[in-house]
Amino acid sequence: MNPDNNITQEQLEQIERYLQDTMPDEQRRQFEHQLQSDKDFRLLVEDVKVMLLGVESASLKSNLEQFHDEMVPVRTLNESESSKTDIPTKKTPPKILKYLTAAAIVIFIGAFWLESRSSTTDRLYAKHFKPDPGLPTTMGATQNFKFYDAMVNYKQGEYEIAISKWETLLSSEQKNDTLHYFMGVAHLADGNEKKAIDYLQKLTENGSNSFKKETAYYLGLAYLKADNVEDAKKYLTFSETESAQQLLSELND
Amino acid sequence: MRETKQIEDQLTVISAIKANDNLVLKKLYQDNYKKVEVFILKNNGSMPQAKDTYQEAFIAMYQNIKANKFTPTNESALQGYLYQIAKNKWTDFLRSSRYKKTSQMADGFLIKDEDTHMTEFDLSEEEYNPQNLAMEAFNHLGSECKKLLEVFYFQKKTLREIALVFDIGEASARNKKYRCIQKLRNLVSPN
Repeated sequence: MNPDNNITQEQLEQIERYLQDTMPDEQRRQFEHQLQSDKDFRLLVEDVKVMLLGVESASLKSNLEQFHDEMVPVRTLNESESSKTDIPTKKTPPKILKYLTAAAIVIFIGAFWLESRSSTTDRLYAKHFKPDPGLPTTMGATQNFKFYDAMVNYKQGEYEIAISKWETLLSSEQKNDTLHYFMGVAHLADGNEKKAIDYLQKLTENGSNSFKKETAYYLGLAYLKADNVEDAKKYLTFSETESAQQLLSELND
Repeated sequence: MRETKQIEDQLTVISAIKANDNLVLKKLYQDNYKKVEVFILKNNGSMPQAKDTYQEAFIAMYQNIKANKFTPTNESALQGYLYQIAKNKWTDFLRSSRYKKTSQMADGFLIKDEDTHMTEFDLSEEEYNPQNLAMEAFNHLGSECKKLLEVFYFQKKTLREIALVFDIGEASARNKKYRCIQKLRNLVSPN
Protein backbone atom coordinates (compact mmCIF):
# COMPACT_ATOMS: atom_id res chain seq x y z
CA MET A 1 0.00 0.00 0.00
CA ASN A 2 1.16 3.47 -0.75
CA PRO A 3 -0.51 5.99 1.52
CA ASP A 4 1.19 9.14 0.22
CA ASN A 5 0.17 8.55 -3.32
CA ASN A 6 -3.23 10.20 -3.48
CA ILE A 7 -5.46 9.31 -6.36
CA THR A 8 -7.53 11.68 -8.47
CA GLN A 9 -10.91 10.83 -9.89
CA GLU A 10 -9.44 10.78 -13.39
CA GLN A 11 -6.67 8.42 -12.35
CA LEU A 12 -9.14 6.09 -10.67
CA GLU A 13 -11.36 5.95 -13.72
CA GLN A 14 -8.43 5.48 -16.04
CA ILE A 15 -7.21 2.53 -13.98
CA GLU A 16 -10.72 1.10 -13.92
CA ARG A 17 -10.88 1.26 -17.70
CA TYR A 18 -7.53 -0.48 -17.91
CA LEU A 19 -8.55 -3.25 -15.53
CA GLN A 20 -11.90 -3.73 -17.22
CA ASP A 21 -10.24 -3.78 -20.59
CA THR A 22 -12.34 -0.96 -22.02
CA MET A 23 -9.44 1.28 -22.97
CA PRO A 24 -8.78 2.28 -26.60
CA ASP A 25 -5.57 0.79 -28.02
CA GLU A 26 -3.62 4.03 -28.14
CA GLN A 27 -4.38 4.92 -24.53
CA ARG A 28 -3.64 1.39 -23.49
CA ARG A 29 -0.17 1.55 -25.04
CA GLN A 30 0.54 4.80 -23.21
CA PHE A 31 -0.80 3.35 -20.00
CA GLU A 32 1.36 0.26 -20.27
CA HIS A 33 4.36 2.36 -21.12
CA GLN A 34 3.85 4.36 -17.95
CA LEU A 35 3.44 1.12 -15.99
CA GLN A 36 6.88 0.07 -17.24
CA SER A 37 8.69 3.30 -16.58
CA ASP A 38 7.00 4.86 -13.56
CA LYS A 39 7.40 2.98 -10.31
CA ASP A 40 4.96 5.12 -8.31
CA PHE A 41 2.34 4.69 -10.99
CA ARG A 42 2.87 0.94 -10.94
CA LEU A 43 2.34 0.90 -7.19
CA LEU A 44 -0.77 3.01 -7.52
CA VAL A 45 -2.29 0.67 -10.10
CA GLU A 46 -1.46 -2.35 -7.99
CA ASP A 47 -2.98 -0.62 -5.00
CA VAL A 48 -6.26 0.09 -6.80
CA LYS A 49 -6.35 -3.44 -8.20
CA VAL A 50 -6.01 -4.96 -4.75
CA MET A 51 -8.59 -2.59 -3.32
CA LEU A 52 -11.16 -3.33 -6.01
CA LEU A 53 -10.64 -7.07 -5.60
CA GLY A 54 -11.27 -6.49 -1.90
CA VAL A 55 -14.53 -4.70 -2.73
CA GLU A 56 -15.61 -7.53 -5.00
CA SER A 57 -14.61 -10.21 -2.48
CA ALA A 58 -16.48 -8.49 0.32
CA SER A 59 -19.56 -8.17 -1.90
CA LEU A 60 -19.32 -11.83 -2.83
CA LYS A 61 -18.94 -12.73 0.84
CA SER A 62 -22.21 -11.01 1.66
CA ASN A 63 -23.90 -12.94 -1.16
CA LEU A 64 -22.56 -16.27 0.12
CA GLU A 65 -24.86 -16.07 3.13
CA GLN A 66 -27.80 -15.94 0.79
CA PHE A 67 -26.46 -18.83 -1.33
CA HIS A 68 -26.09 -20.85 1.83
CA ASP A 69 -29.55 -20.09 3.15
CA GLU A 70 -31.17 -20.91 -0.15
CA MET A 71 -29.39 -24.23 -0.33
CA VAL A 72 -31.02 -25.68 2.77
CA PRO A 73 -34.62 -24.52 2.91
CA VAL A 74 -35.26 -23.14 6.37
CA ARG A 75 -38.31 -24.92 7.68
CA THR A 76 -38.93 -23.29 10.99
CA LEU A 77 -41.83 -21.05 11.99
CA ASN A 78 -42.82 -20.10 8.45
CA GLU A 79 -43.47 -23.67 7.53
CA SER A 80 -45.59 -24.55 10.54
CA GLU A 81 -47.56 -21.32 10.13
CA SER A 82 -48.39 -22.06 6.55
CA SER A 83 -49.51 -25.58 7.35
CA LYS A 84 -51.86 -24.06 9.92
CA THR A 85 -53.41 -21.90 7.27
CA ASP A 86 -54.10 -24.98 5.20
CA ILE A 87 -56.57 -26.32 7.73
CA PRO A 88 -59.62 -24.27 6.64
CA THR A 89 -59.31 -25.47 3.05
CA LYS A 90 -59.35 -29.04 4.23
CA LYS A 91 -62.73 -28.39 5.81
CA THR A 92 -64.18 -27.40 2.45
CA PRO A 93 -66.64 -30.09 1.28
CA PRO A 94 -65.10 -32.32 -1.40
CA LYS A 95 -67.91 -31.61 -3.87
CA ILE A 96 -67.15 -27.94 -3.93
CA LEU A 97 -63.51 -28.80 -4.41
CA LYS A 98 -64.43 -30.81 -7.47
CA TYR A 99 -66.32 -27.88 -8.95
CA LEU A 100 -63.48 -25.58 -8.11
CA THR A 101 -61.01 -27.88 -9.79
CA ALA A 102 -63.21 -28.10 -12.85
CA ALA A 103 -63.57 -24.33 -12.91
CA ALA A 104 -59.84 -23.94 -12.51
CA ILE A 105 -59.22 -26.25 -15.44
CA VAL A 106 -61.65 -24.31 -17.62
CA ILE A 107 -60.00 -21.08 -16.62
CA PHE A 108 -56.60 -22.58 -17.23
CA ILE A 109 -57.55 -23.78 -20.71
CA GLY A 110 -59.16 -20.41 -21.40
CA ALA A 111 -56.05 -18.67 -20.21
CA PHE A 112 -53.96 -20.92 -22.37
CA TRP A 113 -56.04 -20.10 -25.40
CA LEU A 114 -55.95 -16.41 -24.62
CA GLU A 115 -52.24 -16.56 -24.00
CA SER A 116 -51.55 -17.39 -27.62
CA ARG A 117 -53.18 -14.12 -28.58
CA SER A 118 -51.92 -11.86 -25.86
CA SER A 119 -48.89 -9.66 -26.08
CA THR A 120 -45.39 -10.64 -25.01
CA THR A 121 -45.57 -8.62 -21.80
CA ASP A 122 -48.79 -10.32 -20.71
CA ARG A 123 -47.30 -13.69 -21.44
CA LEU A 124 -44.13 -12.97 -19.55
CA TYR A 125 -46.07 -11.56 -16.64
CA ALA A 126 -48.30 -14.60 -16.44
CA LYS A 127 -45.31 -16.88 -16.68
CA HIS A 128 -43.32 -15.17 -13.96
CA PHE A 129 -45.79 -13.78 -11.52
CA LYS A 130 -46.07 -15.78 -8.32
CA PRO A 131 -47.42 -14.04 -5.23
CA ASP A 132 -44.93 -13.51 -2.43
CA PRO A 133 -45.26 -16.57 -0.16
CA GLY A 134 -45.99 -14.36 2.84
CA LEU A 135 -44.16 -13.60 6.05
CA PRO A 136 -46.30 -14.31 9.05
CA THR A 137 -43.89 -14.34 11.96
CA THR A 138 -41.73 -11.26 12.08
CA MET A 139 -44.15 -8.50 13.06
CA GLY A 140 -43.85 -6.50 16.22
CA ALA A 141 -45.97 -7.35 19.23
CA THR A 142 -48.83 -4.79 19.41
CA GLN A 143 -50.46 -4.99 15.99
CA ASN A 144 -49.26 -8.53 15.53
CA PHE A 145 -52.61 -10.21 15.69
CA LYS A 146 -54.40 -8.05 13.13
CA PHE A 147 -51.49 -8.20 10.74
CA TYR A 148 -51.18 -11.94 11.04
CA ASP A 149 -54.90 -12.45 10.75
CA ALA A 150 -54.86 -10.68 7.38
CA MET A 151 -51.76 -12.65 6.40
CA VAL A 152 -53.81 -15.84 6.76
CA ASN A 153 -56.28 -14.46 4.22
CA TYR A 154 -53.44 -13.38 2.00
CA LYS A 155 -51.90 -16.83 2.02
CA GLN A 156 -55.23 -18.39 1.09
CA GLY A 157 -55.47 -16.11 -1.89
CA GLU A 158 -58.19 -13.93 -0.35
CA TYR A 159 -56.39 -10.78 -1.36
CA GLU A 160 -59.35 -8.42 -1.10
CA ILE A 161 -60.03 -9.42 2.49
CA ALA A 162 -56.37 -9.18 3.37
CA ILE A 163 -56.15 -5.73 1.80
CA SER A 164 -59.20 -4.44 3.65
CA LYS A 165 -57.85 -5.72 6.98
CA TRP A 166 -54.41 -4.30 6.37
CA GLU A 167 -55.92 -1.00 5.33
CA THR A 168 -57.18 -0.50 8.87
CA LEU A 169 -53.59 -0.78 10.11
CA LEU A 170 -52.18 1.70 7.63
CA SER A 171 -52.93 4.89 9.55
CA SER A 172 -51.38 3.60 12.77
CA GLU A 173 -48.37 2.09 11.05
CA GLN A 174 -47.42 4.73 8.55
CA LYS A 175 -43.78 3.80 8.64
CA ASN A 176 -44.12 0.04 8.53
CA ASP A 177 -42.30 -1.14 5.42
CA THR A 178 -43.55 -4.70 5.79
CA LEU A 179 -47.17 -3.59 5.77
CA HIS A 180 -46.69 -1.36 2.74
CA TYR A 181 -44.83 -4.10 0.93
CA PHE A 182 -47.61 -6.61 1.43
CA MET A 183 -50.27 -4.06 0.51
CA GLY A 184 -48.46 -3.62 -2.79
CA VAL A 185 -47.94 -7.30 -3.38
CA ALA A 186 -51.54 -8.16 -2.45
CA HIS A 187 -52.88 -5.57 -4.85
CA LEU A 188 -50.72 -6.99 -7.60
CA ALA A 189 -51.85 -10.54 -6.81
CA ASP A 190 -55.40 -9.21 -6.92
CA GLY A 191 -54.78 -7.96 -10.44
CA ASN A 192 -54.62 -4.29 -9.55
CA GLU A 193 -51.21 -3.24 -10.80
CA LYS A 194 -51.87 0.51 -10.51
CA LYS A 195 -52.46 0.35 -6.76
CA ALA A 196 -49.52 -2.03 -6.44
CA ILE A 197 -47.28 0.48 -8.16
CA ASP A 198 -48.48 3.21 -5.77
CA TYR A 199 -47.43 1.25 -2.71
CA LEU A 200 -44.25 -0.32 -4.04
CA GLN A 201 -43.00 2.84 -5.73
CA LYS A 202 -43.10 4.72 -2.42
CA LEU A 203 -41.20 1.91 -0.77
CA THR A 204 -38.34 1.98 -3.25
CA GLU A 205 -37.93 5.68 -2.56
CA ASN A 206 -37.53 4.86 1.09
CA GLY A 207 -33.84 4.11 1.63
CA SER A 208 -33.95 1.51 4.39
CA ASN A 209 -36.42 -1.08 3.28
CA SER A 210 -35.87 -4.63 4.38
CA PHE A 211 -37.55 -6.04 1.26
CA LYS A 212 -35.58 -3.95 -1.18
CA LYS A 213 -34.83 -6.63 -3.74
CA GLU A 214 -38.31 -8.11 -3.56
CA THR A 215 -39.92 -4.69 -3.78
CA ALA A 216 -37.96 -3.90 -6.93
CA TYR A 217 -38.89 -7.29 -8.38
CA TYR A 218 -42.63 -6.94 -7.81
CA LEU A 219 -42.54 -3.33 -8.91
CA GLY A 220 -40.89 -4.48 -12.12
CA LEU A 221 -43.63 -7.09 -12.55
CA ALA A 222 -46.33 -4.51 -11.88
CA TYR A 223 -44.89 -2.26 -14.59
CA LEU A 224 -44.70 -5.23 -16.90
CA LYS A 225 -48.37 -5.90 -16.31
CA ALA A 226 -49.07 -2.24 -16.99
CA ASP A 227 -47.21 -2.75 -20.28
CA ASN A 228 -44.53 -0.26 -19.29
CA VAL A 229 -41.49 -2.25 -20.37
CA GLU A 230 -38.97 0.50 -19.77
CA ASP A 231 -39.77 0.94 -16.09
CA ALA A 232 -40.16 -2.82 -15.70
CA LYS A 233 -36.60 -3.30 -16.92
CA LYS A 234 -35.30 -0.53 -14.71
CA TYR A 235 -36.59 -2.09 -11.51
CA LEU A 236 -35.86 -5.67 -12.50
CA THR A 237 -32.27 -4.66 -13.13
CA PHE A 238 -31.98 -3.40 -9.61
CA SER A 239 -33.72 -6.31 -7.99
CA GLU A 240 -30.77 -8.72 -8.39
CA THR A 241 -32.95 -11.68 -7.51
CA GLU A 242 -32.58 -14.75 -9.66
CA SER A 243 -36.16 -14.54 -10.84
CA ALA A 244 -35.66 -10.92 -11.84
CA GLN A 245 -32.57 -11.76 -13.85
CA GLN A 246 -34.36 -14.63 -15.54
CA LEU A 247 -37.29 -12.44 -16.49
CA LEU A 248 -35.00 -9.66 -17.60
CA SER A 249 -33.12 -11.90 -19.95
CA GLU A 250 -36.39 -13.10 -21.47
CA LEU A 251 -37.56 -9.51 -21.82
CA ASN A 252 -34.38 -8.61 -23.63
CA ASP A 253 -34.69 -11.49 -26.05
CA MET B 1 -12.17 -34.62 -27.89
CA ARG B 2 -14.34 -35.11 -24.84
CA GLU B 3 -11.68 -33.79 -22.58
CA THR B 4 -11.14 -30.69 -24.68
CA LYS B 5 -14.84 -29.94 -24.53
CA GLN B 6 -14.86 -30.31 -20.77
CA ILE B 7 -11.93 -28.02 -20.30
CA GLU B 8 -13.71 -25.53 -22.51
CA ASP B 9 -16.70 -25.80 -20.17
CA GLN B 10 -14.41 -25.07 -17.26
CA LEU B 11 -13.02 -22.06 -19.05
CA THR B 12 -16.55 -20.80 -19.61
CA VAL B 13 -17.26 -21.18 -15.91
CA ILE B 14 -14.05 -19.37 -15.09
CA SER B 15 -14.83 -16.40 -17.29
CA ALA B 16 -18.33 -16.29 -15.80
CA ILE B 17 -16.77 -16.18 -12.33
CA LYS B 18 -14.46 -13.39 -13.40
CA ALA B 19 -17.52 -11.45 -14.55
CA ASN B 20 -19.21 -12.12 -11.16
CA ASP B 21 -22.05 -14.08 -12.74
CA ASN B 22 -24.33 -14.58 -9.79
CA LEU B 23 -26.03 -17.72 -11.08
CA VAL B 24 -22.75 -19.47 -11.83
CA LEU B 25 -21.26 -18.49 -8.47
CA LYS B 26 -24.34 -19.70 -6.68
CA LYS B 27 -24.42 -23.03 -8.45
CA LEU B 28 -20.73 -23.62 -7.85
CA TYR B 29 -21.19 -22.75 -4.19
CA GLN B 30 -24.22 -24.95 -3.66
CA ASP B 31 -23.00 -27.93 -5.69
CA ASN B 32 -19.75 -28.27 -3.79
CA TYR B 33 -20.69 -27.50 -0.22
CA LYS B 34 -21.91 -30.92 0.88
CA LYS B 35 -18.63 -32.64 0.20
CA VAL B 36 -16.66 -30.13 2.24
CA GLU B 37 -19.19 -30.37 5.03
CA VAL B 38 -18.86 -34.14 5.15
CA PHE B 39 -15.07 -33.83 5.31
CA ILE B 40 -15.11 -31.29 8.14
CA LEU B 41 -17.76 -33.10 10.16
CA LYS B 42 -15.74 -36.30 9.90
CA ASN B 43 -12.71 -34.44 11.15
CA ASN B 44 -13.95 -33.01 14.43
CA GLY B 45 -15.64 -29.96 12.98
CA SER B 46 -19.11 -28.56 13.53
CA MET B 47 -21.67 -27.35 10.97
CA PRO B 48 -20.90 -23.66 11.57
CA GLN B 49 -17.18 -24.39 11.22
CA ALA B 50 -17.86 -26.23 7.98
CA LYS B 51 -19.77 -23.26 6.65
CA ASP B 52 -17.12 -20.70 7.67
CA THR B 53 -14.25 -22.75 6.31
CA TYR B 54 -16.06 -23.37 3.06
CA GLN B 55 -16.88 -19.70 2.61
CA GLU B 56 -13.27 -18.72 3.25
CA ALA B 57 -12.17 -21.28 0.71
CA PHE B 58 -14.74 -20.07 -1.79
CA ILE B 59 -13.49 -16.48 -1.49
CA ALA B 60 -9.87 -17.65 -1.82
CA MET B 61 -10.77 -19.59 -4.96
CA TYR B 62 -12.56 -16.55 -6.35
CA GLN B 63 -9.59 -14.29 -5.68
CA ASN B 64 -7.16 -16.68 -7.28
CA ILE B 65 -9.33 -16.97 -10.36
CA LYS B 66 -9.54 -13.18 -10.58
CA ALA B 67 -5.76 -12.97 -10.30
CA ASN B 68 -5.33 -15.60 -13.05
CA LYS B 69 -3.66 -18.00 -10.65
CA PHE B 70 -5.76 -20.97 -11.63
CA THR B 71 -5.81 -22.93 -14.90
CA PRO B 72 -8.08 -25.95 -15.28
CA THR B 73 -6.43 -29.20 -16.31
CA ASN B 74 -9.39 -31.57 -16.34
CA GLU B 75 -13.16 -31.60 -16.30
CA SER B 76 -13.63 -31.18 -12.56
CA ALA B 77 -10.51 -29.19 -11.83
CA LEU B 78 -12.26 -26.19 -10.37
CA GLN B 79 -14.44 -28.29 -8.08
CA GLY B 80 -11.37 -30.18 -6.92
CA TYR B 81 -9.48 -26.94 -6.40
CA LEU B 82 -12.23 -25.54 -4.20
CA TYR B 83 -12.39 -28.74 -2.19
CA GLN B 84 -8.68 -28.80 -1.69
CA ILE B 85 -8.48 -25.21 -0.50
CA ALA B 86 -11.20 -25.96 2.04
CA LYS B 87 -9.47 -29.14 3.12
CA ASN B 88 -6.15 -27.34 3.56
CA LYS B 89 -7.77 -24.57 5.53
CA TRP B 90 -9.38 -27.05 7.87
CA THR B 91 -6.21 -29.10 8.24
CA ASP B 92 -4.28 -25.91 9.05
CA PHE B 93 -6.85 -25.04 11.64
CA LEU B 94 -6.60 -28.46 13.27
CA ARG B 95 -2.84 -28.08 13.48
CA SER B 96 -3.01 -24.53 14.79
CA SER B 97 -2.30 -23.61 18.40
CA ARG B 98 -5.79 -22.12 18.61
CA TYR B 99 -7.26 -25.56 18.08
CA LYS B 100 -4.78 -27.49 20.19
CA LYS B 101 -5.46 -25.33 23.21
CA THR B 102 -9.05 -26.44 23.21
CA SER B 103 -8.56 -30.04 22.25
CA GLN B 104 -6.79 -33.06 23.63
CA MET B 105 -5.75 -34.36 20.30
CA ALA B 106 -2.10 -35.29 20.00
CA ASP B 107 0.24 -34.34 17.20
CA GLY B 108 0.38 -36.51 14.13
CA PHE B 109 -3.27 -37.51 13.93
CA LEU B 110 -4.68 -38.69 10.63
CA ILE B 111 -6.95 -36.58 8.51
CA LYS B 112 -9.78 -38.80 7.39
CA ASP B 113 -10.53 -38.38 3.75
CA GLU B 114 -11.87 -41.05 1.44
CA ASP B 115 -11.19 -39.07 -1.66
CA THR B 116 -7.61 -39.85 -2.53
CA HIS B 117 -7.88 -39.20 -6.23
CA MET B 118 -7.73 -35.46 -6.02
CA THR B 119 -5.54 -33.48 -8.31
CA GLU B 120 -2.91 -31.75 -6.24
CA PHE B 121 -2.68 -28.01 -6.60
CA ASP B 122 0.06 -25.71 -5.61
CA LEU B 123 -1.55 -23.65 -2.91
CA SER B 124 1.61 -22.06 -1.58
CA GLU B 125 0.63 -18.57 -2.66
CA GLU B 126 -2.81 -18.90 -1.28
CA GLU B 127 -2.18 -17.41 2.15
CA TYR B 128 -0.82 -14.09 0.90
CA ASN B 129 -3.92 -11.98 0.54
CA PRO B 130 -3.42 -8.21 0.66
CA GLN B 131 -6.97 -7.80 -0.60
CA ASN B 132 -8.26 -9.17 2.70
CA LEU B 133 -7.23 -5.88 4.30
CA ALA B 134 -9.43 -4.10 1.78
CA MET B 135 -12.24 -6.58 2.46
CA GLU B 136 -12.00 -5.83 6.14
CA ALA B 137 -11.95 -2.08 5.47
CA PHE B 138 -14.94 -2.37 3.16
CA ASN B 139 -17.01 -3.70 6.04
CA HIS B 140 -16.28 -0.52 7.98
CA LEU B 141 -17.73 1.74 5.28
CA GLY B 142 -21.17 3.27 5.67
CA SER B 143 -24.05 1.33 4.20
CA GLU B 144 -24.53 3.74 1.29
CA CYS B 145 -20.91 3.47 0.17
CA LYS B 146 -21.02 -0.30 0.54
CA LYS B 147 -24.12 -0.57 -1.58
CA LEU B 148 -22.84 1.80 -4.24
CA LEU B 149 -19.46 0.11 -4.53
CA GLU B 150 -21.04 -3.33 -4.59
CA VAL B 151 -23.47 -2.36 -7.34
CA PHE B 152 -20.75 -0.74 -9.44
CA TYR B 153 -17.78 -3.06 -8.97
CA PHE B 154 -19.40 -6.38 -8.16
CA GLN B 155 -22.68 -6.28 -10.03
CA LYS B 156 -21.06 -4.26 -12.82
CA LYS B 157 -24.00 -1.92 -13.20
CA THR B 158 -23.40 1.25 -15.18
CA LEU B 159 -23.39 4.67 -13.55
CA ARG B 160 -26.56 5.38 -15.46
CA GLU B 161 -28.37 2.43 -13.91
CA ILE B 162 -27.05 3.36 -10.49
CA ALA B 163 -28.19 6.95 -10.91
CA LEU B 164 -31.70 5.75 -11.78
CA VAL B 165 -31.98 3.46 -8.83
CA PHE B 166 -30.42 5.71 -6.20
CA ASP B 167 -32.49 8.49 -7.70
CA ILE B 168 -29.55 10.85 -8.14
CA GLY B 169 -27.89 12.40 -11.17
CA GLU B 170 -25.26 10.46 -13.08
CA ALA B 171 -22.56 12.99 -12.22
CA SER B 172 -23.41 12.75 -8.57
CA ALA B 173 -23.26 8.94 -8.72
CA ARG B 174 -19.81 9.25 -10.26
CA ASN B 175 -18.62 11.64 -7.54
CA LYS B 176 -20.09 9.52 -4.79
CA LYS B 177 -18.31 6.46 -6.11
CA TYR B 178 -15.00 8.34 -6.11
CA ARG B 179 -15.53 9.63 -2.57
CA CYS B 180 -16.38 6.13 -1.35
CA ILE B 181 -13.19 4.79 -2.90
CA GLN B 182 -11.21 7.55 -1.19
CA LYS B 183 -12.79 6.61 2.13
CA LEU B 184 -11.87 3.00 1.54
CA ARG B 185 -8.28 3.92 0.70
CA ASN B 186 -8.00 5.89 3.90
CA LEU B 187 -9.31 2.95 5.86
CA VAL B 188 -6.85 0.58 4.21
CA SER B 189 -3.86 2.83 4.74
CA PRO B 190 -4.58 5.81 7.02
CA ASN B 191 -2.34 8.81 6.38
